[in-house]
Amino acid sequence: MGSFSRRTLLVAGAGAGLLTACGSNTGREGGGSGPGLSQWYHQYGEAGTERAVQRYAAAFREARVTVQWRPGNYDQQTAAALLTDSGPDVFEVNGPTLDQIQGGQVLDLTELLEGVKDDFSPAVLTPKTYDGRVWGIPQVVDTQLLYYRKSLLGDAGVEPPTTLDALVDAARELTGDKVKGLFLGNDGGAGVLGGTPLYAAGLQLVTDDGKAGFDDPAAARTLGKLHQLYADKSLLLGAPSDWSDPSAFLQGLTAMQWSGLWALPQVRKELGDDFGVLPFPADGGHGRPSVPVGAYGAAVSARSTHQEAAKAYVKWLWVDRTDYQEDFALSYGFHIPARLSLARKATKLRQGPAADVVRFTTDHGYAQPLLWTPASQTAYQDALSRIIRNGASPERELRTVVRKVSAELDRVKNAKKTP
Amino acid sequence: MRRRRALWFWVFVGPFALGLALFTYVPLLWSVGLSFFDAHNTVTPTHFVGLGNYTAMLRDDAFTDSLKTFLVFTAFIVPVTYVFSLSLALMVNRVRRVRAFFRSVFFLPAACSYVVAALIWKMSLFSGVRFGLANTVLGWFGGDPVAWLSTPDPPWYWLVLVTVRLWLQAGFYMILFLAGLQRIDPVLYEAAAVDGARPGWTVLRHITLPQLRATSVAVVLLLVVNAFQAFDEFYNLLSDARGYPPYARPPLVYLYYVALGQGQNLGLGSAGAVILALVVVVVTVGQARWLRLGRTDGDG
Amino acid sequence: MDDALVRAGRALRLVLLIALALLFLIPFYLLVRNGLASERDITSPEWTFFPAELRWGNVRELFGDPSVPFARSLLNSALIAVATTLGTLLLASLAGYGLARIPYRHANKVFYGILGTLLVPAAVTFVPSFVLVSSLGWISTLRGLIVPTLFSAFACFVFRQYFLGFPRELEDAAQVDGLGYWRTYWLVVVPGARPVFAAVGTIVFLGAWNSFLWPLVIGQDRRAWTVQVALSSFTTAQVVRLHELFLAAAVSILPLLLVFLCFQRWIVAGAERSGID
Repeated sequence: MGSFSRRTLLVAGAGAGLLTACGSNTGREGGGSGPGLSQWYHQYGEAGTERAVQRYAAAFREARVTVQWRPGNYDQQTAAALLTDSGPDVFEVNGPTLDQIQGGQVLDLTELLEGVKDDFSPAVLTPKTYDGRVWGIPQVVDTQLLYYRKSLLGDAGVEPPTTLDALVDAARELTGDKVKGLFLGNDGGAGVLGGTPLYAAGLQLVTDDGKAGFDDPAAARTLGKLHQLYADKSLLLGAPSDWSDPSAFLQGLTAMQWSGLWALPQVRKELGDDFGVLPFPADGGHGRPSVPVGAYGAAVSARSTHQEAAKAYVKWLWVDRTDYQEDFALSYGFHIPARLSLARKATKLRQGPAADVVRFTTDHGYAQPLLWTPASQTAYQDALSRIIRNGASPERELRTVVRKVSAELDRVKNAKKTP
Repeated sequence: MRRRRALWFWVFVGPFALGLALFTYVPLLWSVGLSFFDAHNTVTPTHFVGLGNYTAMLRDDAFTDSLKTFLVFTAFIVPVTYVFSLSLALMVNRVRRVRAFFRSVFFLPAACSYVVAALIWKMSLFSGVRFGLANTVLGWFGGDPVAWLSTPDPPWYWLVLVTVRLWLQAGFYMILFLAGLQRIDPVLYEAAAVDGARPGWTVLRHITLPQLRATSVAVVLLLVVNAFQAFDEFYNLLSDARGYPPYARPPLVYLYYVALGQGQNLGLGSAGAVILALVVVVVTVGQARWLRLGRTDGDG
Repeated sequence: MDDALVRAGRALRLVLLIALALLFLIPFYLLVRNGLASERDITSPEWTFFPAELRWGNVRELFGDPSVPFARSLLNSALIAVATTLGTLLLASLAGYGLARIPYRHANKVFYGILGTLLVPAAVTFVPSFVLVSSLGWISTLRGLIVPTLFSAFACFVFRQYFLGFPRELEDAAQVDGLGYWRTYWLVVVPGARPVFAAVGTIVFLGAWNSFLWPLVIGQDRRAWTVQVALSSFTTAQVVRLHELFLAAAVSILPLLLVFLCFQRWIVAGAERSGID
C-alpha cells in the first residue's frame, strides 16, 4: 500500500508539471548536444525494445534525440504528421510508400549506404529503392511462416504439408471438436497472406516491367483452394488475439498457425521441441514455397529542420553501429538483422527452427514491390476476402482487381518524379 | 437601439462563432477544395482535376456498395432503436418504486466509450472461440461455436454490431423519451379513461405517441445522422492491423482507409466525404419534411 | 377479472425489465470478471462465473506497468475533460442565449450555419484540422487537445432550445431593473438554468473523456497521452495481455460511471425542460 500513496504523490506532481511543460514539447532527451531531433517508432510488443531504442538515442553525441513511441495506427499518424512541421525528423516506416517518395516527403539516403550497400539483404533493400536511389534504411528483416505442433500432426498421422493441397488436407484432418486445423488470422487469411499464395503459384504481384503479375488462370486456381480451407471449417476464426500473436497456437486452439518469426522465442519457451516451421507451401506445376519478408525502414522527413543531423543519426544508428543493430534484432523480439554479415554471425539463428527460417527466407523470400500501392492492396485484399469467405468466383474477382491494379500502376508511372 | 442589440448579439455569439469558423469551417472548406485536386500526400496540391475525384469515387464499387449498405442499415437500425428505446421508456415510466434503478441500469452504458464496448463484445461476449460467453451459452445447448465477426455467411456480424449499438445508445434515447413522457399532461389520460379507452394500445396510439411527436422527430433525426456517420464501433470491432473486411464497411471507414491511412489520397477521400455529407443532408432534410419538422415549434 | 389482467401485465413487465437489466449489466460483469482473472482463467474452455481467485494484484500490475503511464493518462484525461466541459458550457451557453433572446436581423442565418455543421462528419475535416492545429504550433500541448474541441454545435443547439422555453418574465423584470443582457444572463438566467448546464456538461464530459482519434494524433508526446490512448496501446501491442486490457478498460470507465450516477437526475430534468428535442 505504501508504494501506492507514494505514486499518488508522484502523479499529482506530474500533473502540475504537465500544465507547465506541455507547451514546450520537450520530451525525453538524449545525452548529446547540438540540434534536437525527434525519432518515431511504432509500438513494438516485446518487452525492453523501447528502453533499448532510448539507450541508443542517448548514446548519440551530435544531436539530442527524442524518442517517441506511438501506439495505435502508426501509418496514419506518420502520414498525418508528415504534412506538418511538427512531425518527426527520423521515423521508421513500413515503406516509405511510393507516394511518399514521389511526393518528396522523404529524403534520398543513398549516400549513407556507400560502400556497405551490398551488405544489406537485397530482398528488403529493393522495395526501398526507387529510380536507383535508396529512400529508407532497412532496420531488420521480418518474415512470416507456418508453425505446426509436431505431436498433434503425429497423432493424426499427418506429414508436415509441402504442397497447398496437402495443407488443405492436413488442416481438415487436424480439425477436431476442440482444436482447429489452421489459423490464418481472424479474417480467414485475406489480410496476412496477401500476395503469398500468388508467389507460391509461381506468380508475383507486379512484374518486372510494371504490370499486374497475376493475370493468369493459375492465380484463380490457387486462391480458390484457400476457400476450400474455409469451406471445410478447418480455419480457426474469432480468436481473442490475431495471427501476429502465438497465443491461439500456444493455447491449443489450433494445430497450425501462420505467424511471424518474432513469435519463435515464445513458442519455443512454451512448447520446447514440440513444434516445427514451414514456408507457405507451393502450388501447381510452376509453384515454389513462398515466404514473405518485409522491413521497417528508417527514413528522414523532408520537413526536418535539421536534415544533415538527421541523416547523420540514421547513418550512425542503422549503418555504423552494428552492435546496436544486432541487439535490436535479437535481444528483445526475434528478427533477422538486415545486414547479411550480422545475420551470418548470429548464433541464435544457426540452430533448430530458427536456422530453417533463415534458409527459407534466403531461398524463397519475396517482398511486396514498391509499385504495389495501398490502393492496389485494398482492392486485392477485398477480393481475396470475398474469395475465401464468400466463395466468390476467383476468376471474376481477379479480373476486377487486375483492372484496378493496372490503372493504379499507370497512375504511379505517370506521376511526376521528385526533382 | 438596433445597433446596440447587434453588438450584444455578437458579444454573446461571437466567440463561439469565431471558434466554429476557425476550427470547423476552415477545415471544411479546405476539404472541399482538396476534392478538386490530385492531392496524394499533400494538403497544398497544385494539380487541378476538376470533378475527376467525384467521378472516380462514384465509379468505385467499394464506395457505392458501402453507401448502399448503409442506406439499408439506416432503414433497419433507426426503427429498431426507436422502438426499443421507446419501449424501455414506457416500461420504466410505469414502474414506481425502482424506477431510478432501472433508469440508471439502462442509461449506464452510454458512459462507455466505443473502444471499451468493442473490446467487451469482440474479446469476450462474441469471441469466436469456445470461451466466448455467447459460444459458451450455445455450448450448453449443444451448439457449435460460431465465429461471430468472421463469417460473412450467415452474416452474424450484424448481430454483434446491432447489439453493441443498442447497448450503447438505447439508454440515451430512453432518457429523451422519459423526459417527453413526463411532460404529457395526466389530464389527457384521465379523460381517455373516462371515455372508456382501455389502457394499452389505444391510449398509446391516440395519446402517448401524438404527444411525443416533438421528441420523436428529434430522436429520429439524431438516429439517422448517427447511422450514416457510423464509424467507431465498426472500426473497433472489425478492423485489424491489415485493414477492414469488405462487408459491413461504413462509408466513413472506407474513406478513412483511402485518405488517412497510408493511402493518403486526400483529394479522393475529400470527394467521397462531400458525397457522403450530401447524402446525409438530402436524407435528413427529406425526412424532416416528411415528418413535418416545422410543426414542432407550434407543438413544443 | 380485469384486475387480475392488470396485475398479470404488471408482473410481466417487471420480469421483462429485470431480464433486460441483467442483459444490460452483463458487459460490466465481464469487464470485472476478466480484469481480475488470470490469463488462464479467461481463456479456459470451461466457463467459470467467477475466477477461482480474484487477483487484486492485477491492479498493482496495471498501475506499475513501466511501458504505459496509466495513472498519468487518467490524470490527463481528467484535466482535459474538465477543461473542455467548462469551456464548452461557457461558449455554447452564451451563444445559445444570444441566439434565443437577442433580436438580431441575421440571427437565423447564424443559427443555421451552426446547426449545419452537425451534418458534417468530423472525419471529413480531420486532416485539414490537424494541419491547422499543427501550424498553430499546438501539437502535444493542452491547448491543442482542448481548444479545437470547445465549439460544440450540439451544445449550442441544446442551449438555444432551452432558452427559447425559459420563462421570459424573469428576464423582463431584470431588464426593467436596468440590468443589461450581460448581467441578466449571469444573475438571472444561469442560476435558473442549472439542469441544462448539468445535462449538457455531463454529455460533453463523457465525449471528452471517451474521445480517441484527436488526442491520439495531437498528443504525440507520451506524457500527453489520455486514458483512451493508453488503453489502445494495450491492444496494439503484438502480444495482448487480456486481463490487463480488461482491467484498464474497467478503470477507465469508473470515473464516468460516478459522474454519470451523480448527474443523471439532472440530465433527465434538463432533457425534460429543454428540449434536447
